[in-house]
Amino acid sequence: MDQIFIAPFAHPFMGRALAELLVLGALAGTVGVLILLRRLAFMTDALTHTVFPGVVIGYLLGGEGGVFWGALAAAAAATAALLTLMTRHRAVTEDAALAVLLTTFFAVGVVLVSRESGYTADLTAFLFGRILTVTPQQLTETLVVTALVVAALAVLRRPLLARAFDPEGARAAGYRIGLLDLATNAVVALVVVAAVRAVGTVLVIALLIVPAAAARLVSDRLVLIVPIAAAIGALGGWAGLAVSYDASVHHGLRLASGATVVLVLVAGHLGALAAVTIRRRPPAARTARSTP
Amino acid sequence: MNTPTDPALELDEVTVSYGPAPALENIGGVVGPGEAVALIGPNGAGKSTLIKAILGLVPLVSGRITVLGRTPAQARREVAYVPQADTLDPEFPISVGQVVLMGRYRRIGPLRRPRAADRRAAGDALEQVGLADRARHRFGTLSGGQRQRVLLARAIAAEPGLLLLDEPFNGVDAVSEQALLNAVAVLKGQGTAVVVSTHDLALAHLACEEVCLLNRRQYGFGPTRLTLTPDRLRATYGGHALELRGDRVIVAHS
Repeated sequence: MDQIFIAPFAHPFMGRALAELLVLGALAGTVGVLILLRRLAFMTDALTHTVFPGVVIGYLLGGEGGVFWGALAAAAAATAALLTLMTRHRAVTEDAALAVLLTTFFAVGVVLVSRESGYTADLTAFLFGRILTVTPQQLTETLVVTALVVAALAVLRRPLLARAFDPEGARAAGYRIGLLDLATNAVVALVVVAAVRAVGTVLVIALLIVPAAAARLVSDRLVLIVPIAAAIGALGGWAGLAVSYDASVHHGLRLASGATVVLVLVAGHLGALAAVTIRRRPPAARTARSTP
Repeated sequence: MNTPTDPALELDEVTVSYGPAPALENIGGVVGPGEAVALIGPNGAGKSTLIKAILGLVPLVSGRITVLGRTPAQARREVAYVPQADTLDPEFPISVGQVVLMGRYRRIGPLRRPRAADRRAAGDALEQVGLADRARHRFGTLSGGQRQRVLLARAIAAEPGLLLLDEPFNGVDAVSEQALLNAVAVLKGQGTAVVVSTHDLALAHLACEEVCLLNRRQYGFGPTRLTLTPDRLRATYGGHALELRGDRVIVAHS
């Protein structure tokens, strides 16, 4: 076990990758609970795609270091656009508008990358991330984003909970729903931006949704769901990285790290689903019998 | 400041409009502290719109609403609103106790932990609706009537001067209905004014000293006994969907 889960991380590049995934996994797991409570999974998926052209533009303008700020700018613009679309144009249903936005931004990103010489390699990196080349600077940026998001969630946790549970009641109580939704989108966008270089635009959605969904299966209580989701995110990152390294180095089976992390998370989710189904079956059967 | 003898709610020629036609026209009336008024009218009559206007959530075309001597927006912290329980997601992972504590959120503030006084207020409120033993249960596991009582407890915990209830008796069992009525009676005894929209005329008789008959415009506002007459009800409901059985009036909806 040591050989698989601990030894590989003696390499500096693997150590940095692990640190990045532990922080990102915990952060995305936590924010994922908010996404789940607000039922914003599809909007989050759209957000990950709208960030894509920003990532590309950032890269084209500033090289590896520019990705972060390009993505940040695109995420901010996309967040504003999404909100405006949703609140103004009631004629278009929300999910249709989102789908249009999602593909448009994605296409813009692909067109931009296709102008580069190393088209395929670059595209792969943007879509699926490069967790093994995480730099100390990227790690610092991820930590800054984490601090920002955690601070925002700590201050806004009660209004966000009230708004998610009962929007009408929250509005009646005087909470500014528009501002709370803007804050929610901004938080999600920040996490997407921070995670894009490590796991790519396509896989980041799994990091956000899967740990929170698994945690919700395991517990009914929000005070437990948040730490469980963070733990699942972090552990999934660790296990996925270790498995992909071991398969590639010791078994000649090349596994992409980011995708392996996602598969490990999904396996964890299925495991939780199976455990909960088995545990819940006896009481369900009893209820069925006792019903007249 | 508002003194106990001032009205809790004053509606003065209130007109609200979403499109070209007014949703509410020239609504007027006064509710004193400790009094309850029933908003009665068919679906789409503007009952919910009037409640939103009192909350300051929809702009008035003309007229004025005064809540506890102030504008609705200024008075919002002393106004509690109880939505219909069945509009809320039963899968939401939140306990009954947490829902009731939400009534204290504006007092607790963003960073502080709830104080003993907050927890006591929430506990007392839950006791008042007869669900003290359910504090740790998940909200969605309760029956519809019990959920409605939890939402009332949340409003009670906020210690409001004005309480607004939107169709609180819809699909509620007899036990919960009685618990809701008792809790509302206690609040009124403490000086809280109550506005309740309902289809149930019998409950209006039981719980409210005043009624406001609404169907876009006002068909009567005054003491229940005098205002809730068959003639006025027929006018409010457009004359057709109405059956009379002696003293009791039943309004059927399509």
